[in-house]
Amino acid sequence: MSPLFFIFGPMVLAALVALYGKKRDTIVKFVSLALFVWMLIYALELLAILPDSGYLDLGSYLAVKDFGFELTLQVDHLSVVMLILTSVLLILVALSSWTMKRTSTYFALLILFAGPITGVFMSTDLLWFFIFWELTLVPMYFLVGIWGAEGRIYAAVKFFLYTHVASMLILLAFFLVYKETGTMNMTLVRESMLASPVLIWWLLFIGFSVKMPIFPFHTWLPDAHVQAPAPISVLLAGVLLKMGAYAMIRMVVLMLPGQSAHFAWVILALGLITLFYAGFMALYETHLKKMVAYSSISHMGLVTVAIATLSYSGLSAALFEMIGHALIISPLFLIAGFLHHRTGSWQMGDMGGLMQKAPYLSAIFVLAGLAALGLPGTIGFVGELTILIAAIKSYGFWLILIALGSMIGAGYIIWTFRRVIYGEISQTVRKSDFRMDHVEFAALVIFAVLIVFFGLFPSTLFDVINAAFAPIAAQGGL
Amino acid sequence: MFGTFSLLFVAALVSLALHRTKWLKPVALVAIFGSIFLTYSGSHIGLAGFENSEAIRLFTLILEIVLLAVILHEEEDQTLTQTLFIATASVALLQSHTLLTFIVSFEAVSIISFVLVSHIRTAAQAEGAVKMFIAGSIATGILLLGAVLYLIGGGRLGAPIAVETTALSTTGLFVMLLGLFYKLTIVPMHGWAADSYALVRHSHAAILTGVAKTVVAVAMFRFFAPFLAEHLSLSVPVMVTLAVVTMTLGNYLALFQKRIARILAYSSIAHAGYILLAFAALKSGYASTGLLYMAIAYIFMQTAVFLLLDILRKRYGIETLEALKGLAKKNGLLAFFFTVQLFSLAGIPLLAGFMGKAVVFYAAVDAGLWAAVLIALLNSALSVGYYAWIVKHLYFDEAQGPASQSNDKLPIVSQLILLAGTLTFGIFASLVFSVGNAF
Repeated sequence: MSPLFFIFGPMVLAALVALYGKKRDTIVKFVSLALFVWMLIYALELLAILPDSGYLDLGSYLAVKDFGFELTLQVDHLSVVMLILTSVLLILVALSSWTMKRTSTYFALLILFAGPITGVFMSTDLLWFFIFWELTLVPMYFLVGIWGAEGRIYAAVKFFLYTHVASMLILLAFFLVYKETGTMNMTLVRESMLASPVLIWWLLFIGFSVKMPIFPFHTWLPDAHVQAPAPISVLLAGVLLKMGAYAMIRMVVLMLPGQSAHFAWVILALGLITLFYAGFMALYETHLKKMVAYSSISHMGLVTVAIATLSYSGLSAALFEMIGHALIISPLFLIAGFLHHRTGSWQMGDMGGLMQKAPYLSAIFVLAGLAALGLPGTIGFVGELTILIAAIKSYGFWLILIALGSMIGAGYIIWTFRRVIYGEISQTVRKSDFRMDHVEFAALVIFAVLIVFFGLFPSTLFDVINAAFAPIAAQGGL
Repeated sequence: MFGTFSLLFVAALVSLALHRTKWLKPVALVAIFGSIFLTYSGSHIGLAGFENSEAIRLFTLILEIVLLAVILHEEEDQTLTQTLFIATASVALLQSHTLLTFIVSFEAVSIISFVLVSHIRTAAQAEGAVKMFIAGSIATGILLLGAVLYLIGGGRLGAPIAVETTALSTTGLFVMLLGLFYKLTIVPMHGWAADSYALVRHSHAAILTGVAKTVVAVAMFRFFAPFLAEHLSLSVPVMVTLAVVTMTLGNYLALFQKRIARILAYSSIAHAGYILLAFAALKSGYASTGLLYMAIAYIFMQTAVFLLLDILRKRYGIETLEALKGLAKKNGLLAFFFTVQLFSLAGIPLLAGFMGKAVVFYAAVDAGLWAAVLIALLNSALSVGYYAWIVKHLYFDEAQGPASQSNDKLPIVSQLILLAGTLTFGIFASLVFSVGNAF
């Protein structure tokens, strides 16, 4: 199967679904589910045929002579891991959107999102990477703006504008790279001498920081994540933020290793600030979904710290934590969104005693929460531990500080349990009906299973992840 | 010798006799199809003072395709005839190679534009038309003044612009550029544009902002680029300053408009700023490709949005953002066309508008103007503010009140042609790059 099918196919399919999908909701749902499953199978196939190190060439298309602009598709372990994560999340998002209103349009946009996101992880041409990167914004804008909560319009426009401005910096950086190296291919750029690497590094770093997000460029996130419908929050946290982290690793750390080493302290400092700032914000928050959103930012701070180590073990840990974060935050967002849907309230103060009313839902919430604070036996523990070790190895023992971040995490998570899950049953909870659609509940269960599975058998994941950074280990650093 | 020019000219004259018959539109369509065919097979004017090139051939072809969409859209006899005349004059302007032919063809385009908007129905349209006429007359005056200075300074009428010039003739050429900037709506020569574009009939505005302006930009670039490239120390600061001021002011003012036509009129001014950046980037080998790409992208999307406005006004009486609310529920197809073209204007990838901007901006980076490009990029991001805001009204808001709707057929084919152009040039960049340097 040509990779182009998975990039441009969804765009065509989305148009067809939008045109002919009205009143065929069930078909539409299964068509998109089938597409996402197919994407997963394709990604697994790629994993199977990947060479041990280096790229797998998937072909070049649409070459433009005189302007290093060519849709060059190459994948390595890093991109295939991202593809697998994306397709798994898309499947679970489709399942958790089973009862969404205006089904055909919603799923058309979801399918539309699948195309460019595949392109982002496959393309090694800078300009095409940028094209796909920007294109993911369009379905997101509509998904947040149409299906979001009360403040959806403000959130959608802010999200679009904010991240679009950041993208402009990235585009300028790519132009400068092309001007100075004469190539748009990321693998070639690494080997060439850049004349103004400092400027390029800062443009790229700030551009990608917005997407990750790293303090102080995170302000779009609480709005977008809170206002988005719950499955879309999952997509934002699980895929869009990962796209930022992926780009940070691929284009800042791996493409400009020299400058990254020079400015590693910037990445480290901002990562730590993000970790603690967002942690304290989560502690302070009484709005359930905002708490989850800040917890999400805090975890991305952890990923940033791991990236700042610029080492083999650190980058592996970062990638592991990225996957862990996607699996942990997603059920929290889904449940927070569901609770709001049923109780009509975002405030944790209005809830309480959920365990008595909806024990299974509460159990999954507790499991994901405990994973978020790093309970051994869950994927969260492995992620945080490996990051802690990698960071201490690179920067010395004072980074035991990270463990303090985990403690703040424990603080807000356990306090949330106290306010939402346990305690006396509140009026709001008593009145509400928490019966969940079976398909949507199944998605939550799958998340829970994955959290525990990879917590108990992290090596299944590390085998693949380590291969992504094997070249770094082989040459003993960047 | 029966080239594109002659065919269109004859068809335009014949069409005058066909008003109020059912034959006008078929004749116009046949003529434009014929001209597309002739241009495709390499027709050129073939008179002294005119010269064709690969890039001009591609652009002429696209111009004719866009005019085909305009003709398919248009129902009014007057406008159809003027469209054919505009096509004729544009073909001449694009191929003109000497000062004489350039000025004559440019004046022809201007005068036909005046005739086009002089078809007045309301007081508002009269205001728009008069403003345009006055600004146009001043522009002509300045242009001729510049030409005279250039000629006194040693220039020749029957030749392309001299690259080596005296102080007086250099001054003359820059004065000529000032006159042309009126047509290109460069700040501070933009004052008339927002009013005129927004007040005249939308289908006329489509021809003015979409077609005529783009043609002038391309012809101007072709005609002046060798001279400007020779005087970089003078031209670059002037062009960069004007470009930056134009795009910034255009985008900034667009943010505050309530009427859709005014938003798009200011957006058109902002785009003139992006186009001007190509004039500043002449040091780079990508400048001509960038300008050509920007022009191609712009002619498709700008014509499309104003034709869509025309449909919106005719069908739903929509003029303001407020009235646009919930259109997606009333007419999904129209909302879709509108959204795609707006996103193209905003520079969202896989649409022509993105590639146009990307190539122009790269040309400027290549010419060492990265700070100006940063401003342009931030401007482009700022512009998303109002494009996305229009889209927000289309999709996110609930419709207000029952819609008054007339039942005339939607000119879908016309919009499909423009949409196909926007998509094709968003994806297949090599179409333009293969001819871009052959100006």
